[in-house]
Amino acid sequence: MAFDKMELKDIEVWDGNFAAAQALRQCQIDVVAAYPITPSTPIVEGYSKFLADGYVEGEFVMVESEHAAMSGCIGASAAGGRVATATSSQGFALMVETLYQASGMRLPIILNVVNRALAAPLNVNGDHSDMYLGRDSGWIQFDAYCPQDAYDLNFIAFKVAEDHDVRLPAMIHQDGFMTSHTAQGVHTLTDDQGYGFIGDFKPMNDMLDFEHPVTHGVQTEEDWHFEHKARQHNDLMTKVFPKIQAAFDDFEKLSGRKYNLVESYDMDDADVCVVCLGTSVETAREVATEMREKGIKAGVVGIRVIRPFPFMEIAEALKGVKAIAALDRSSPNGAPGMLFNELAGALYNTADRAMLSGYVYGLGGRDLTKKHLVDLYTELQANVDAGKVTTQLQQFIGVRGPKLSFL
Amino acid sequence: MANTGWDEFEIGAMLRTFDGKIDDIAGTLQEDRAYSPNSSFVASVADWRIEKPIFAKDFCIDCQFCWIYCPDMSIIARDKKMIGIDMDHCKGCGICVEVCPTNPKSLLMFDEHSDEETELAQWPAKEEKK
Amino acid sequence: MLEIRWHSRAGQGAVTGAKGLADVISTTGKHVQAFAFYGSAKRGAAMTAYNRVDDKTIMNHEKYMEPDFVFVIDPALVYTTDVTINAKENTKYIITTHLTKEELVESQPKLEGKEIYTVDCIKIAQETIGRPIPNTPMLGAFMKISGMYDIEFFKDSMVRILDKLPQKIIDANMIAIQRAYDEVK
Repeated sequence: MAFDKMELKDIEVWDGNFAAAQALRQCQIDVVAAYPITPSTPIVEGYSKFLADGYVEGEFVMVESEHAAMSGCIGASAAGGRVATATSSQGFALMVETLYQASGMRLPIILNVVNRALAAPLNVNGDHSDMYLGRDSGWIQFDAYCPQDAYDLNFIAFKVAEDHDVRLPAMIHQDGFMTSHTAQGVHTLTDDQGYGFIGDFKPMNDMLDFEHPVTHGVQTEEDWHFEHKARQHNDLMTKVFPKIQAAFDDFEKLSGRKYNLVESYDMDDADVCVVCLGTSVETAREVATEMREKGIKAGVVGIRVIRPFPFMEIAEALKGVKAIAALDRSSPNGAPGMLFNELAGALYNTADRAMLSGYVYGLGGRDLTKKHLVDLYTELQANVDAGKVTTQLQQFIGVRGPKLSFL
Repeated sequence: MANTGWDEFEIGAMLRTFDGKIDDIAGTLQEDRAYSPNSSFVASVADWRIEKPIFAKDFCIDCQFCWIYCPDMSIIARDKKMIGIDMDHCKGCGICVEVCPTNPKSLLMFDEHSDEETELAQWPAKEEKK
Repeated sequence: MLEIRWHSRAGQGAVTGAKGLADVISTTGKHVQAFAFYGSAKRGAAMTAYNRVDDKTIMNHEKYMEPDFVFVIDPALVYTTDVTINAKENTKYIITTHLTKEELVESQPKLEGKEIYTVDCIKIAQETIGRPIPNTPMLGAFMKISGMYDIEFFKDSMVRILDKLPQKIIDANMIAIQRAYDEVK
């Protein structure tokens, strides 16, 4: 490797953004095409600094919009490079058109999405609106709960996405500010360990292979379009999870850190549990432990892989639970909420169909406090005691004014 | 493309121009290249034509206008000299005739069933400027 | 769990200070968290930054905090913001001011009865570093009040954290830390 290596401490105090930037350096990305946006800016800024300082051999392409950023990534990936970028919120929204191109073309691009609210009103803080916007785009979506996850999941994402049986782009989500700008201890890999985990990029149908010319991004109409989409869905449904599991296993061997498709915490004998994403998973774990001291058997289920959705695994994780809360950090705007809907689908055909209620919380970075979660667990326990959902099915947490609930 | 199932084609919205490895593509003439069935080169659009262009070599000045403007790359040129028309891929649009600058034109459109030798024999004369 | 809230102006280095402190503490085997409230704040706007320190992994990501320590690194914030919000009975305050403790409490009655320490971080920073960046002196004062680490160990750690800066600036920061350590009362 013709670049300088960096000596890292075993534990560095990094925020989620810098952790992701360091992972991109260690993965030796060939091309980053980016249009920086808060709160993801330091990721691509960090990569470009590492590049300028001689720690990476690659190209940083400055473009005129996020649409162009992902377009540049698609071109570079089709040409045969290891490619990544980062974005948030409005930038992600502008990228959406090209996200479908990237996944349909089966290009293993890695996109770090630092989750942020969508305007209007304009807001730079973290919620999951942009993450939810991308959930039908055909990408693999990993969710980080803290800076450590943001670092580790980049390596795992490259390993899965670039596998020739998978060849799908992947997003790594982290909560804007709550992870991206929160410094915590991050256990590092050495440069050789990190790069060794993902290995050299193995091109597939790359345009720069002049002895095997290919046309990328072809047009199909009703004659072939459906088959292509069916193939992509099939691969997401059948091939991705085994590869992710294998990558999780390999990563555990390398680092000692264990990741799961569904992260269950204190679920063995839980009566009540919350299912959520992002930093809330960790806060809820702390509260669940405290609830157990008060005699409420509380658990937490965090979803590590949002797409493909771990339908069977989540039903298994929720077996035996009596009352479940689905926490959605994005306004469903006229529906129960993504997690509520997915959980309802996963549980509907199970024997012990638990009580399920949905909560909308934390929009635009609104704090989810431990007290909110204590109240939530208490409410779930009341449902268990009453043998039915005692509230309306959809409630808002932490919003001003009269209590807001529906359904 | 053959009528294969969803699980039989290569992934990605991509098609191969050639089956297998190729060498020196730049030095190989189109007609000598082993295009794959997925290349549009192997598909003829000759039956789309109602009219066809006929080329009168005697008047051609090799300006290459027809070669540049042809939307289907159906003007065959060698060493920058126009030598004829690829009748498998010409769909008879007549653009080559429109752009031909010679007097009389070196390309004219005729009924698809007309006879080339007959038409060449009665090619229009030079138009006098008025 | 030890929790600290910084009151600062954007640009005065509270985030850098909080991250620097977290970095030093992390090297001693403890778990740390450093974050801040951001908005579309421009330089000079009042803002808060936070530290959490614990012996076990910190899972709590709520922004709400009942701090053990409150650092005020700009003298005017005692009057324009509520530095006592969400405080506990025994919360300790280290406040940048040129006033004596008595004068300070008299000018801001909310501080009556609180455990207050004062040090003029702005003046120290100006006289040593040459710019009103009061973050490192505040950490020197914190070392004195908390007794968390030996001041020499802390200074050595800060030298490592500041190693990208010119030597002259690093040296000035060390003097600033020591002065605040000596002068806080």
